[in-house]
Amino acid sequence: MNAKDNGDMLLRVEGLVVKYMTDAGAIHAVNGVNLCLRKGETLGLVGETGAGKTTIAKAIMRILPDPPAKICGGNIYLNGEDVLRVGEHRMRQIRGNSVAMIFQDPMTSLNPIEPVGRQISEAIREHASFSRREVEEHAKKMLEKVGIPRERYGEYPHQFSGGMKQRVVIAMALACNPELLLADEPTTALDVTIQAQVLEMMKGLKEEFGTSMIMITHDLGIVAETCDNVAVIYAGEVIEYGSAQEIFDSPAHPYTIGLFGSLPGANKNARRLKPIDGLMPDPANLPTGCKFHDRCPHATRQCMKEEPTAIHLTDTHYTKCFLHWR
Amino acid sequence: MGKYILKRFLWIIPVILCVSVFVFTLMYFTPGDPAQIILGTNATEEMYEAKREELGLNDPYIVQLSNFLKNVFLRGDLGTSYKTQQDVLEQVMIRMPYTMKLAFGSVILSILVGIPLGVIAATNQYSWKDNLSMFAALFSVSMPSFWFALLLVMLFSLNLRWLPSTGADTILHYIMPCVSVAVGGAAGIARQTRSSMLEVIRQDYITTARAKGMKERAVIYKVALKNALIPVVTVIGMQIAGMFGGSLVSEVIFSIPGVGSYILNAITTRDYPTVRGGVLIISICFCLIMLLVDIAYAMIDPRIRAQYEK
Repeated sequence: MNAKDNGDMLLRVEGLVVKYMTDAGAIHAVNGVNLCLRKGETLGLVGETGAGKTTIAKAIMRILPDPPAKICGGNIYLNGEDVLRVGEHRMRQIRGNSVAMIFQDPMTSLNPIEPVGRQISEAIREHASFSRREVEEHAKKMLEKVGIPRERYGEYPHQFSGGMKQRVVIAMALACNPELLLADEPTTALDVTIQAQVLEMMKGLKEEFGTSMIMITHDLGIVAETCDNVAVIYAGEVIEYGSAQEIFDSPAHPYTIGLFGSLPGANKNARRLKPIDGLMPDPANLPTGCKFHDRCPHATRQCMKEEPTAIHLTDTHYTKCFLHWR
Repeated sequence: MGKYILKRFLWIIPVILCVSVFVFTLMYFTPGDPAQIILGTNATEEMYEAKREELGLNDPYIVQLSNFLKNVFLRGDLGTSYKTQQDVLEQVMIRMPYTMKLAFGSVILSILVGIPLGVIAATNQYSWKDNLSMFAALFSVSMPSFWFALLLVMLFSLNLRWLPSTGADTILHYIMPCVSVAVGGAAGIARQTRSSMLEVIRQDYITTARAKGMKERAVIYKVALKNALIPVVTVIGMQIAGMFGGSLVSEVIFSIPGVGSYILNAITTRDYPTVRGGVLIISICFCLIMLLVDIAYAMIDPRIRAQYEK
């Protein structure tokens, strides 16, 4: 399918399958994920650790470590261009320029032996034909945009706090004014007060630059605050998809409902948190049928045998659960 | 930084003092009579006794030691050789350039071969390139360097007649000695580079660099290698320092008049002043190289630089 017929569609992921090939066998990290993102929108990818959220983002940028990771199927259209089928040279033009990524842990995602300013400059120099001085000036401006004085251009990562480092990472990601920003749990490693600051800043910059964003998180609070649409990921599959309002007001999949049940304060009557029983299935050894059936309070014999397909509850809201087929 | 370097310089003094006492004591208790070696076996007992008196060998240990230390540290005098009556410092310094050339030549060679090999192995982990270069490294580490040196001589001097087999006059003379020493060194550097590169290329900042759109080559050589360099620099430093004692085997096989064979000679003839002097100068060089290694750390890693500045 071509996305040209859909003018404001920025990103369309279709049937993405990613496996990690190990000696012990294939690990099914992403199993047929479909996503789409319109220009200017923010899509939240929500799910537990190990659900495959980060793998999806890295697949979009094609920076999965190969080996062991292999993209086994699917298409990723960015502005109508299938990035899984372009050459490495073209891909480098896309990386950091059209699509940029913010990583989870600012402590480890900056090169420890390079001044932060230079690391931002590097990103700019890869994609713009500025002179050395212009590049430096632009990098300093980016630092100021994220609230770091330009004098700190020449300082090293160890001289910055965690929150400041994440600001540097954000400045680096936004330096080339990307169309799409992949934010992989950008605030997970930060403490709560800094989280709010960083999120606020990201929201502001996103509006200023008109960037579209995929926000990967397991924090439903962040989703509520920043996302237009939400995809709930479980065992490498989108099990529910809808606008943020639909997901929050009328969650349809038992897993999504469980997620809200395990959130403090979401249900005022509950005295105790209600965790979802059990663990996510081992991606090396996924169960048959619905991947959630062994943890699901509503599981039937059908759920163990057949894999549910998507059922649309509204035009924009779908879920993969037999409950809604009956 | 300057303060740190000065501090390290001053530290060399106590180290040298310890080395002096240690070397002196070791030589003192080594069996063998210099007088006998100097005069040969045909002299009379009186002549031996007179010689021992002249050399001060009849004094008690503590007197001899304090005389030695006084001469070295207060007058900067390493003494004269028992055998040739020449000034030890002067003699060591005449031989030092040969050893230096051999040391730096072979280390540069092993860096030029070892680092790229290690990088290739690490970036193609478990591929045939990795297996081949690591097999080559294992082979060269295990191979005795004198044997390899002899093979080189057989091939390039005896059969092909391309290179001179002995002497140290032109750069041609240094090719085989340097190569024979460098194979082992290159192997060590390659193995160290591989393992520290493997650790670094799994780090998040490598993914960040790729995500910026940097070329793979730049990611590997500018970001990863620079981060992986610290343990490699340590190995290189140890190799250079180790070679100041003279790459003895190489010096002997290729008749290079370096420090190593000079000291070895002095040991066999119980030429105490030469041994002590030579060892002292080598230890000073060793300390200086280690200081250079630490300065190199600081140049590579700003976190270490910050520590020095405290």
